[in-house]
Amino acid sequence: MATTTTSPPPQPQSSSSSPSFPFPREYFFPAFFTRQTNITIHHAQLTKWSALILAYARHHRLFRITISAAAESDLFFNRGIDRRLSPPDIREVLDFMRKDGRAEFLRPDGAADAASAAAAAAGGDVVFLYWRKPEEWAALVEAFVEETAQKGSVLTVYELTEGENTRGTEFHGMDNQVLMKALNILVKRGKAQIFGSEDSLGVKFF
Amino acid sequence: MFLKHIDLTTALRPSYLPDEVLLFVQDNVGLYEGKFKLPNQQNGQVYLTSHRICYVDKDEPRKYSAALNLKEVDRYEFYAGFLKSSAKITIVPKPLKRSTLHNRVVSNTGVNSRGSTPSPAPSDNAYTPPSGPPSMTAATWVCTICSFSNPVPSNFDPTTANAHTPLPPCLACGIKPTLSQVLKAAISTASNRPAATPNASQSGLSSQEVSSPITPQSSDLLTFDTRVGSGQGKPDASVSFHCPRCTFSNHPSLLSCEMCGAPLLSQNIPSSISSSEYIRTQSPGPVKDSNSKTSQGGTDFAESVKISFRGGGEKIFYERLKSAMTQRKWLLQDAPPAPKSNRGMDDSSASGSPSTPVQKTKTAGIAGLEQLGLNMRKNNEILIGSAFEDLEALMASAKEVVALAERFAQQVNGASGDVTSKDNSILAESAHQLGLITTKDIVGGGSSESLYFSELARNLAEFLTDDSRGVLKRAGGILTLVELWAMFNRARGGVELVSPMDFEKAAQMWEGLKLPVRLRKFRSGVMVVQARDRTDDATIKSILAWLQDLHEFPPDRDVAWDWREFGRGVTAQEAAERFGWSLGVAEEELLMAEEHGALCREEGLEGLKFWKNYIGSTDPALLQKREAQEQADALIQRLKETGLIG
Repeated sequence: MATTTTSPPPQPQSSSSSPSFPFPREYFFPAFFTRQTNITIHHAQLTKWSALILAYARHHRLFRITISAAAESDLFFNRGIDRRLSPPDIREVLDFMRKDGRAEFLRPDGAADAASAAAAAAGGDVVFLYWRKPEEWAALVEAFVEETAQKGSVLTVYELTEGENTRGTEFHGMDNQVLMKALNILVKRGKAQIFGSEDSLGVKFF
Repeated sequence: MFLKHIDLTTALRPSYLPDEVLLFVQDNVGLYEGKFKLPNQQNGQVYLTSHRICYVDKDEPRKYSAALNLKEVDRYEFYAGFLKSSAKITIVPKPLKRSTLHNRVVSNTGVNSRGSTPSPAPSDNAYTPPSGPPSMTAATWVCTICSFSNPVPSNFDPTTANAHTPLPPCLACGIKPTLSQVLKAAISTASNRPAATPNASQSGLSSQEVSSPITPQSSDLLTFDTRVGSGQGKPDASVSFHCPRCTFSNHPSLLSCEMCGAPLLSQNIPSSISSSEYIRTQSPGPVKDSNSKTSQGGTDFAESVKISFRGGGEKIFYERLKSAMTQRKWLLQDAPPAPKSNRGMDDSSASGSPSTPVQKTKTAGIAGLEQLGLNMRKNNEILIGSAFEDLEALMASAKEVVALAERFAQQVNGASGDVTSKDNSILAESAHQLGLITTKDIVGGGSSESLYFSELARNLAEFLTDDSRGVLKRAGGILTLVELWAMFNRARGGVELVSPMDFEKAAQMWEGLKLPVRLRKFRSGVMVVQARDRTDDATIKSILAWLQDLHEFPPDRDVAWDWREFGRGVTAQEAAERFGWSLGVAEEELLMAEEHGALCREEGLEGLKFWKNYIGSTDPALLQKREAQEQADALIQRLKETGLIG
């Protein structure tokens, strides 16, 4: 696991080199790709799709997807049975995940670190997938800092995601914007402080 | 018993005898016997038909429903009601012995009423022309206008008859006889009986009484019986059989007189009838039990029956009862179908009586067939010709004319080769047999329209559940209301059509009337009719069973998915074919199953298909489990990454 080294633009275009993702049973059920009208079934469908997307993203360590491109990926397009989830339905599933706090649409202007994340509803093509929520990521980073006794020291963001020290942790190779969201949570809690300019951001943990 | 238990149809209406016509219905009535209320028959509907008065209880219809035959009615009185006492109609039975009454009932409901009517006439009346056809009354009077022998009405009593006694008109020409004429005929029949009995004046009109083996004056009958018995034992042609009308000696095996066509008696029937009659007496309905005890106690008169009209309608009932009593439709059934056949013989000596055209087909081959066709056409011609001669005759032969018209209609339809029209004609025919004639004027006007609707609802239920027609069965047990409406109105033959509004209202009453059909409304607003026992669950179950079967049988072409696991999707079309539903119904049923969560949908190039729901429902327990699993996974992963395991 976690062998991907060139992650920053993690487009799910091609299934990565990691062992193939074990799709759930529903993935091979043709009716799974049609939006259900029965509310109960529809809810179950959304839940299952959301679980599938998260599991898929976790497997391939996807932090963000582009809807138009993902629609062609084997996540939403089962070539084996020639069934696909249509883009509007994908959007609906992602919106369902957003309400659950498991996804977030990237705002078109790119201001990803906006506090009002939920307000950036539909419209964007790029979606963050939170198979771990930012709070969870924040907890992980904090735990890492604690473990490695780096409290009080300054780390660059690059160090956190690409540095040798973080190799083996989950947030190694993490998407920058997602990491920034996590770090911002720590800042709010007063556990960290971010400084520096766009390119070379530094974080000081307390 | 005066009141007899009756059979009800599936829709809890009295099942009618052949030829019986419904005249009037009124709800909210109660029954009295003598002065006392019958405890279990205080709330029900009364059906006046041409033959009977039927009471159908509202609460326990199968148990407490009863009927009395109009032919056993001596007189009826009207009581208009006073203050709190509601209007009543009292019906007084004839002072005849019970066995006699029963004998008649049996003989009338029998398949061959002519042959089965017992009469001693052949033996002792052989030389008296006026006592002709052995109908229920031995006495006949000969019409002075058309010389047709009419039966003297059974309730005609020479001792009490006066100028005001209603007399039925001649069955053939419709001219009323004079009282003296009928009186003479009745008396001559009575006096022709050799063994004069003390109650001859009373029993003179009822031949059955004589035939019953327990009556004293049957000594002469016994000899007749033995003679007949010997004639049966060895079929000896020398034992001839005298025609009761023309005295021609017929061969004993003949059923009708060779000379005049009058029906002869088959000898073994009287005994069988009397036996069945005793069986009847011993198995009365639950209400009559107490009754029978009192009558066995010695009273010859049965208690009069009162019908109490608490919801109004008594006036119309009385009027209709009066006309039914005057018309005496039950006589028509027993009367020989002579008028038509006699005329036919008069008009054209070539063809025989229409009732027995088969006997004429002696010639074989095509010529025989042609002859048969010719005869039939001629008969039809005669029938139509005579039927329209005057109004009474038309009434008398109405049955035949209707049958003829229906046959013509069928032939026309058959020529066009249209399957649906053939279906329709069959429907129409059976509808006619059923007596589908609940119309607004039959139903009591006193109460609101609800009685009409409930009657219509019962009518519909009968129409739907009638096995011979199988309306529901053919439609796979489910039918849209519109289809039923069209079918029902077509079955009515274009008259007395039911408006859609009334129809819907009637259909909505099924639930309340506990009828075996129910009205169902689909989500889309489509209303369908189905049997009560076919619930949604049953339908879903059958659909699922079908889908489960598809797991076993490979699809007709290769499919990409694992059909062993998921089966395949079905379209509404397929479901319609599978279950015999109409397409609209199939779609609604599938949607219904989807709504219940049993099916899920797949929209694709091939249209909307339905699958068994493998997506499942959101089960909170399942979700929690999944989350726990995720956490466990994450833990394992983290442990792996930190190199603690694997």
